Order: sequence, then C-alpha cells, then structure tokens
Amino acid sequence: MGPRGMQPASGGSRVTEPVPLIELQHLTRSFGPLRALGPLSCRLAPGRIGLLGPNGAGKSTLLKILLGLLAPSSGTGRILGRDLAHAGPELRRLIGYMPEADGLVPGLSGVEYVALAGELCGMPRRDASRRAHEVLTYLELGDARYRPLEQYSLGMKQRLKLAQALIHDPPVLLLDEPTSGLDPTGRDAMLELLDRLGREHHKSLILCTHLLGDVERVCNTVLILHRGQILAQGSVAELRASRQDRYILQIQGDSAGFREELALEGVQIVTDNTRGQWRVTVPHGFVTRAFFALAAHHGVLIRGLRADEESLEELFHRLLAEADLHGGPQR
Amino acid sequence: MADLNAKPVLLHYRGWRGSLQGDGVASTFGFLAVQAALFGVAALVPSGLVRVLLLGVFLANFLLVSRSRAWPIARVALLMLFRRRLFWGLYALSITVFLCYFFGQYLMSWAQGLLGESEIRVGGVARVQPKWLLETLRDTLHFNGSPLTFRDFFWFEANTVMIALAFSGAVLIGNDFRYGSLAFYLAKPISIWHYLLGKGLAVVVFLNLFTTLPAVVLWVQFGMLESWEYFTEQSHLLLGILAYGLVLSTSLTIVLLAAAAWLRTTVPLIMAWMTLFVFAQAVSSALVDGLRFSPLWRLIDLWNCTYVIGNALLQADLSKIRPSPQPEVWQAALVLLGVCSACLSYLIPRVRAVEIVP
Repeated sequence: MGPRGMQPASGGSRVTEPVPLIELQHLTRSFGPLRALGPLSCRLAPGRIGLLGPNGAGKSTLLKILLGLLAPSSGTGRILGRDLAHAGPELRRLIGYMPEADGLVPGLSGVEYVALAGELCGMPRRDASRRAHEVLTYLELGDARYRPLEQYSLGMKQRLKLAQALIHDPPVLLLDEPTSGLDPTGRDAMLELLDRLGREHHKSLILCTHLLGDVERVCNTVLILHRGQILAQGSVAELRASRQDRYILQIQGDSAGFREELALEGVQIVTDNTRGQWRVTVPHGFVTRAFFALAAHHGVLIRGLRADEESLEELFHRLLAEADLHGGPQR
Repeated sequence: MADLNAKPVLLHYRGWRGSLQGDGVASTFGFLAVQAALFGVAALVPSGLVRVLLLGVFLANFLLVSRSRAWPIARVALLMLFRRRLFWGLYALSITVFLCYFFGQYLMSWAQGLLGESEIRVGGVARVQPKWLLETLRDTLHFNGSPLTFRDFFWFEANTVMIALAFSGAVLIGNDFRYGSLAFYLAKPISIWHYLLGKGLAVVVFLNLFTTLPAVVLWVQFGMLESWEYFTEQSHLLLGILAYGLVLSTSLTIVLLAAAAWLRTTVPLIMAWMTLFVFAQAVSSALVDGLRFSPLWRLIDLWNCTYVIGNALLQADLSKIRPSPQPEVWQAALVLLGVCSACLSYLIPRVRAVEIVP
C-alpha cells in the first residue's frame, strides 16, 4: 500500500499523477513592513526533503505556514493538496511534527505522553494507547515506556518526540533538528530510523537542520532558502553535480611543466595530495580534451579524469557566498 | 528464506488504519447550547418536579464531556493532580467540612424525632435538651437544608479550595509555559480554544469536587432524611447550588488560568493567590468592619463577590448576609465580570504568543 499522501485531498476518483507534497505559488509572508518570506514558487514531490538555510532565511516562517500556524500574506500554497491558507488544524492531521524543543509534559510516562498526542490528533483513546505501545516498541523505547519523562536521556527524548509525531501515522513528518544534542551513536541511530521511515515506509520527510551531513544522508531533495527566497532546489545528486568546473586528475610523471602550462591556461590546482592526485578548477570554456593534449606535450600520463562533485556543505556555502556576492536573492 | 546475517528487527513499523475524529467544535457548541437551554428552562419552569428532572438531565449530560476533544487535555491535567499527595491531603480537609454538614443534617433529623422526650443522656454523663440541640443545629449551624446551609457550606469550603487552587494552578497550566508543553499541545490539530477549554475543564472538575458536588449530595441527603416533597418544594435550591457552582467555576477558572500563565511557578502563584483571596479579604474586612468605610470596599475580595452573587442565586435573605453590610449583587457581578474580562484579555494573547516553531 502506498503512502496516504499519494491520495488526492478531495478523495474520490483515483489519479495517476501523485499529488505533490508541497506546491507553492508566489507565496509570501510579511510581518508589518518586513517581508520574511517569498515570493516562493516551487513544486516538490513526496520524498525526503532537506530544508536548509542560514539563520533568518525564513525556514521557521515556512515551517509555521506548512503547519497551518501562520497564514501566508499572499500567494497560494498546498501541502498534499490541502490549501495552506484555509486548512488550519486540518493540516496538522497530515503532518507529524517533531519539534526541536523538548515540549514534554512533566509527570507523564512515555506511553501516556505518546497516547495523549494520539488523542489530540483525533484517535480514539483505546487506539491511541495501543498504538503508543507499538510505536514506542518500534523506536526501541519499549523498556522505558512506563518511566516518567523526567528520567529520559536526551537520545530517548528525541525518539520520544519522533514517537509522538508518528502516533497517528501521518504521511508527512516535519522534523526540526532531529539529531540536535545527540552523541555520534545516537545521531547515527536517529538518521537510520528516519532513513528507514522514508525508504521502507514511504513517509515524506521534511528535515529542517543546520547539520548538512544529516540532510546528505537522509534526503534525496533539498530546498535551500536564503533571505526568504529559494536559493536552490532539486535532487541532492543533481545539485552536487551541477558544478561543471571542477575535476579530479590522476597523473603520472614529471608534472612541473604540465603544472605551469595548466596555470597559463587558467586552470587552478586546488589540492595536490603529492601522490599524483590533483583537484582542479577550470575556467569557463575550457574543454577536458585540453588536459590530454597538454599532458602529452609534457610527457605526463593522465591515468584518471573525473568530474569532482561538491559535498552538500561545499555547495551550500558556495551558493550562499555567490548570493551574497551578487546581492541576491533580495527580499 | 530468511537472511540470517540481517540485523534483527523486533517489530516492523505498521501503519494505523483507523480514521481520525473531527475537531468537535460544532458538537462542543451544540453541547453548550443544549446545557444552557436546559438550565434556562429549569430556571423558568414553575413545576418543581420538572425542574429537578431537567437539572438531572443537565448533570447527566456532563458525562458526555469525556467525548470532547478537550477532554484528553483535562484528563491528563487531573491525572497529574491526583498523583500528588498534597491534593489528597487538601481533599481530605475539604471532606471534613462536608462530613460535618452530612452528619450535622443527620443529627438534626434524629433530634427532630426526639422532640417529645424531655432529656437525652449522652454517654451517661451529660444531659441534653432535644429542643436546645435542635435550635443549635437548625438556627445557629443552619443544618436545615435551607439556602443558608448551602451558602455557609460554600463559604467554609473557601479556605481549602483556595489553597488547593493555588497549588494546582502551577501543575495545571504553569508547567505548560515553564516546560514548553504548550507548544506540544498547540502543534497538534487542535485550536487554542481546545487547549483553554481542556485546562478550564480540569479546573472546573477540580473545583466542583470540593464545592458543588458535595453541596448537591447534601441537598439530596436532606431530602431523603426530611421528605420527598423537599425535592420538589426546594428544587430552586438545586438550581441555586448549580448556578453558584457555575459562577464559582467560571470566574475562578479564568482567574487561575491567567494567574498561572503569568506566574508559572508554584510559590509566586500561592503568594499571589493568597494576596488575592486572603489578604484582600482581611483588608476589606478591616476597612468596612473596623474603619466603617463604604461596603463597596468589600468588592476587592473576589471570593466575597462570588459569595454575594451566590446568596442571590440561592435566594437567601440578602439582608442577613454575614458579614454585613455588603455591596449590591449587581456591583459584585460587575466586578467579577470585569476581572474575568481582564484575565481573558491577558490569557488569550499570552497563549497565542507561544512559539511552536522557535
């Protein structure tokens, strides 16, 4: 069975094309004279989406709009076919929200807390209680479920927050810094859980974090915001491969002349590992055949040549630097 | 064939196939409308029997509250209170007042049956005149099922209720602000009205466990001891008890929620609460009774305001209210309305201002 998010909002007839997870058209949000967000236009298919951006980029505002807590100032938006402007609490039935802050109810046990979350989502009490046990067991908190929340460790609290987001089995999980404060083992376990929820159980994830490694590991799509506007969007693989001016060369032989010749052509050697592997950037219009011609001229053997993909972190910082340099995107 | 090298997984994630209930806003408004109509008709109908039946339905309808979307919030809040020993200690204290009235009424009924006898020997030592005993129980202590019985009962419960409310405020709502639980509630598919209704419901249940419920039990007990006619002839008393409970519940709930949202922690809340209800009472009493200031000064004591309104609702003789003189009922109602409006105008923006996504 496919995820519930693939069904049309209005129900009724089957559709062949999946409903987009997020669809925004010229959506803006202003606070008084300050425009915090937009205009944003994008269409993202269900999947694992990383929402990135520096502080003040508009991520929190977008999250509030997606949760139905804030209405857009103008433009339209839909999440799984539901109108962002009018759905209100109805939107939060579709979304399991895992907040960054603790938000625990002191005095309750783990299972009571998760069951309460289920009841608040509209589950009958008995179903909520039964499901709370199931979800806590799935998240490996079965042994701690009757323990008061005050006795939970940080890692357990993070899982508990995920449990309360999963209780009503929403098609979309909105995760705000899910690995915040976790040790490497805990972080690894949390990311594996999220990855499994996305891949095996077809949950759409919207992961909002400053840890780009988390996004790289879990998400297949990213949406980068800067100054309230979309700086880049698309699949992680495509964005990382989008830079066409970086290569990794594996060479053999006396490279001094070759190095000088490359410099004259405008090729910069970014790193040299002294074992014949260079990372280079080439100027606009440079064709890779020129590497072989120059190498042959200096008696150097090129044993390998491949495009150098940026890490997500490099991509993020480069895009931000370029945006700042060119003064855009502007609010 | 199973992969023996695979990482063992104890339980795979399973989806939930049930359907979620609606937000219940329409049914909540429907419920409130039905209750208001029942209460209104009960107040207007001349027949005592019909009034009792209508009020019975009114009370029974409260069982439907457990179906409300706000009920899980109220239930959890009450659960957290019931888990504290302090609550049970205070409730035991409150029950002693109730038991005093319960057995006082029983004693009066018993003494009435002994009117013909000249003297009663108590424990072989003391001799008690039934007439004197009856007069004390009926005219001094008011264990006679009259408006004064219930008025005094509410008044005597005040001290325990005030202490209990001061402690419970921090647990019921202060902790939600202090520990960020409010963001947890509001991130769910409910509105802030569900949240406020849930918390308010918890305070109402808590408060009525100390006041209205024991008062109704006393009314039923007196009717069963006296005669069945009491239920129909004094049905206005049941109406008055419920109306008094309603005024107390509504006003104190709103004031408590606002105070707890403002102060959050237990100690400042207790201090503020005591100032509001104990210090204010002492000051107003000193000003009016001691210095002979205008009775309007009693309006600074909120419990006294509810007491004056309660007297009117119970149809007690307003000229015999202790302590006297007292302000007019409409003045007390106006003050209570003003305080509640001010508290709501603080509380609602305060809850709205909570950052669910920081």
